[in-house]
Amino acid sequence: MGTTIPLPPGLLRMVFTAVVVIALVFLNSLILGYVERKLAGRFQLRPGPMEVGPHGILQLMADAVKLLGKQFIIPQAANSPLFRLAPLLAFVPVGAAFIVVPLSQKLQVRDLDVGLIFIVAVMALNMVATLIAGWVSNNKYSLFGAVRSVAQSVAYEIPLLLSLVAVVLMTHTFNMQEIVLSQDHIWHVVQQPVAFLIYFIAGMAETHRAPFDLPEAESELTAGFHTEFSGIRFSFFFLAEYTNMFFVGSIAVVLFLGGWHGPQLPFMDYSAAVWFLLKVYSLLLIMIWVRWTFPRVRFDQLLNFCWKYLTPIALVNLLVTAVVVKL
Amino acid sequence: MNKTDHLINELGRLPAAVNRVDYRQQGYHLEARLQAGQVPAFAELLRQREFYLVFVSAVHVSPAIEIIYQFACFARPCRILARSTVAADGTLPSIANIFDGANWHERETRDMFGVVFTGHPGLELLLLPEEEADLKPLLKEEGALKPADQIRRAPDEEVQDTKPSTTAEPGAKEPKGEHRQ
Amino acid sequence: MTTNPDNQQQSFFLNMGPQHPSTHGVLRVLLEMDGEYVRDAEPVIGYGHRMQEKLGESRTWKGFMPYTARLDYIGALPCSHGFIGLIERMTGIEAPPRAEYIRVITSELNRIASHLLWLGAFLLDLGAFTPIMYTFDDREQILDILEDVTGSRLTYCYFRVGGVSRDIDEPFVEKTHAFIRRLRSRFKLYEDLVTGNIIFIKRVQDIVQFTPDMAMRYGVTGPILRSTGICYDIRKNEPYSVYPEFDFEIPVGETGDCLEVYRVRMREMEQSLRIIEQALDRLPQGPVLAKTPRQLKLPQGDASFAVETARGELSYYLISDGGETPYRLKIRTPSFSNLSLLSELTRNVLLSDLVMVLGTLDLVIPEIDR
Repeated sequence: MGTTIPLPPGLLRMVFTAVVVIALVFLNSLILGYVERKLAGRFQLRPGPMEVGPHGILQLMADAVKLLGKQFIIPQAANSPLFRLAPLLAFVPVGAAFIVVPLSQKLQVRDLDVGLIFIVAVMALNMVATLIAGWVSNNKYSLFGAVRSVAQSVAYEIPLLLSLVAVVLMTHTFNMQEIVLSQDHIWHVVQQPVAFLIYFIAGMAETHRAPFDLPEAESELTAGFHTEFSGIRFSFFFLAEYTNMFFVGSIAVVLFLGGWHGPQLPFMDYSAAVWFLLKVYSLLLIMIWVRWTFPRVRFDQLLNFCWKYLTPIALVNLLVTAVVVKL
Repeated sequence: MNKTDHLINELGRLPAAVNRVDYRQQGYHLEARLQAGQVPAFAELLRQREFYLVFVSAVHVSPAIEIIYQFACFARPCRILARSTVAADGTLPSIANIFDGANWHERETRDMFGVVFTGHPGLELLLLPEEEADLKPLLKEEGALKPADQIRRAPDEEVQDTKPSTTAEPGAKEPKGEHRQ
Repeated sequence: MTTNPDNQQQSFFLNMGPQHPSTHGVLRVLLEMDGEYVRDAEPVIGYGHRMQEKLGESRTWKGFMPYTARLDYIGALPCSHGFIGLIERMTGIEAPPRAEYIRVITSELNRIASHLLWLGAFLLDLGAFTPIMYTFDDREQILDILEDVTGSRLTYCYFRVGGVSRDIDEPFVEKTHAFIRRLRSRFKLYEDLVTGNIIFIKRVQDIVQFTPDMAMRYGVTGPILRSTGICYDIRKNEPYSVYPEFDFEIPVGETGDCLEVYRVRMREMEQSLRIIEQALDRLPQGPVLAKTPRQLKLPQGDASFAVETARGELSYYLISDGGETPYRLKIRTPSFSNLSLLSELTRNVLLSDLVMVLGTLDLVIPEIDR
C-alpha cells in the first residue's frame, strides 16, 4: 500500500493492492458483523453469539463457511445469468471504492484528484445491483424491494451530495487528502454541523440501514430484494452492505471529522490510520445503535422527509455556505 | 330491564316468539324462535337497536338443521339467542348484508353443514380445503342424529317455544336428562 | 404502471402468506395491489383448521378441556376459564372461593403475558427489533410463575370443573408481587422508548379508523372495540367468576386509531395488575377443588358462556342431549370476527400499513381456524 513499502513493479503492485483491498473488505465485514451482533445482543438483554470461539468471535467465520457450503438456488422463473451476476455487481464496486480512502497521509492506494466524486459514484452503483437482484428474481416482494431501493437511493443521493458540496465549496477540491489537510486546525463539522447531520441521515438511507431499511423490510417484504438468494451469493449482499457502511463512515470522517488528524499516539507507527479507523467505527457504532432502537419509517414518510425537509435544508445550507465563502 | 321488555314487544310484533330465560343457568337473556323468512327482519331490528352479532352457527337435528344466531349489546347486558330452521330445500336468507360479520360465520356454517344462505355476497369455502368441499363435517351420522326436542332444556319450562310437534312429549326424554341442581 | 382505457390503474395480486413473517401464523392475505397501495385485502383462513367443534362432540367435557388451551395459545387460561365456566353453569357445580380467586389471578397474569407478546410482535412488525426482547423478558417472568403452579408454560390445563388442580403457595404470592413491582417500573421504560417515539407515532396514528358502527357490524370486541370509545368488557358487562368483587377500570379510548388500540392495551395491563394485587390481598382460605361426581353427564339443554380474553369476547355455546359428550359445541372466537374486518379496513392503505393493521388486530391464527 502506497509509498510505505518499496515500490514493486506495476503489475505486482496492482495484484498486491487487490489482495489487500479484498482482505480489508472481508475483515471489515467480519468485524462489523461481529460487533453488530454483539451490540444488538447487548441492547436486547442477551449475550449475542457466544458459542464459536471465546465470546463467539469466530461466529462470523463459521457462518461464512456454512454459507459457502450451501446450495445456490436459482428460481426457475428467474433470469439466470443476471441472477448470478447481481451479487457480484453489488460486491465489486465497493472494493473499488477502497482505492481512494485515505487511511493516513501515506496509506492510500491512489490519491485521485476527483477522489470524492469517484467514491460517491462507485457507491451509487450498489443501487444498480439491488435493482437487478430484485427484478430478475421474478418475485413480487423482490420487485417491491428493488423499486423501493431505487426510489430511495435517487431521493437521498440529492441531499447527500448537496451536503458534501458544501464542504467542497469551502475546500475548493475533490481530492480526499487535500480535504483532510484543510482540517488541520478545525474540523469541518464545526463549520458545517447541518451538512454533517444531513449527510449522516442520508448516508444511513443510502446504505439501507434501519430505520430506512425499506428495500429489505423483513416484516413487510419478507427479505425484499434478496429474498430469493441463498448461499455465498446471499452473503455478498451483506458484504456490500457492511462495506458501504464503512464508506459512508469514511466519507463523513474525511469531510467532516478531520480524517486521519489526531494527536500522535505513543509507540504507534500508524497513529494517523488508527485515528481514522477509530473515528469511522465510532460513526458506525452510532449507525448500529440507531438500527436497533428505532422502528422503520414508512415508504412515503421516507420520501417526504427527503424531499420536504432534507433537500431544502441542504440547499439553504449550500447557499449560505456559498455566500459565506464568497465574502 | 324496561328496555328489554320494550325489545321483546318489538320483536313480538315481527312476529317472533321471544322468551326470557334464566341468565345464570343458560348464559343468555332472551331466546327467540324464528321462521326462516323472519330472520332478515329480526336481524334488521337488532341492528337498529345497536346489537352486534356474536355468531351464526347451526346444529344438526331431525327433521331439519337448526340455525342459531347469537346477538349481544354493547350498551347493556342483553344476550339474545335466536333459532330458525332451514327451509325444505336447505336454504335460509342471509343476514350478511345487515351484519357484515355474518359473512364469514355463514360461510363457515355452509362449510360445516352445507346450509345455503340465499343473498350471501360470496358463499365460498372458508375453512375447509377445496378438495373437501362436500365433507360437511358437523352433520350427524344416522345413529347420532337426535330429534330437536331431545336437546332442549324442557323439564321446568312448559311454555318453551319450540316447534309444535315437539312440545307434546316432554316426559319422554326425562330419564335421559341428568337431574339439574 | 400502464393505464387502462377506463382510466383505472392496472392492479396485480400479491400473495401474502401463509409463510409471511408478519401474518403471525398460517394466515394468508390475498392482496390486490396498485403499486404499494392495497386496493383489496382478502384474508384466506383455514390452514390451521383442526375441526375443534367436531372434536368437542367426540370428547367428553373433561376430555375436551385441554383443547380449550389450544385455541388461543397466547392467552390460554381465559379460554379454559370460559369452558369451565360453561360446564359449571350447566351442571350447577360451584368452585370454592379460593379457586375462583386463583382462576382470576392466573387468567389476568396470562392476559398480561398475551399483551406483552403482542406489544413486542407489533413493534417487530413496525421494524423495531429490540422491544420484543424486553417484552419477552417480562413475559418470561409470568411464564415462570405460571409454570410453578400449573406445570406448563403455554398451553395450560390447570382449571378443573369445581376448582383448580393445584393450590398456590407462599412463593407464588411473593413472586407475583415481585413481578407486579417489576412490570410497573417497566411501563415507564416502554413509555419512554415506544410511546414517545416520533417514528412510532407517525406510523400508527390516524392510518385506519375503527368506528363503533364498524364494530357492531362485524362483531368486533376486545381492545379494538374499546379504542373506539365503547366501554364493553365481558368482565364488567356480564361479570363472571369473582370479577365483580374487584375494583378495576375498563380502559377506553377515543379516536379509534391504532395508536389508541396500543394505549388501551397498555392501560389494560395496568388494570390487570390492579386486579391481581387485590386478589392476592384478599385471597380466601379453603379448598381449591370442590367434590364432583366422577361420571358427570351434562343435563339436557343448551347454555352459553362468554369470557373476555386478551383479544375480545370468546364465547362457548354448548348443546347437550344429556349424554357424556356435547351434542354440539360452538366456539366463537374474537380474532375470527376481528379479522373479518380487515378487508373493509385496509382499502387504499400502503402495504406497510396493512402489516401494521394486522399487528394491531393481535391475531392468533389457531383461534381463528379452530
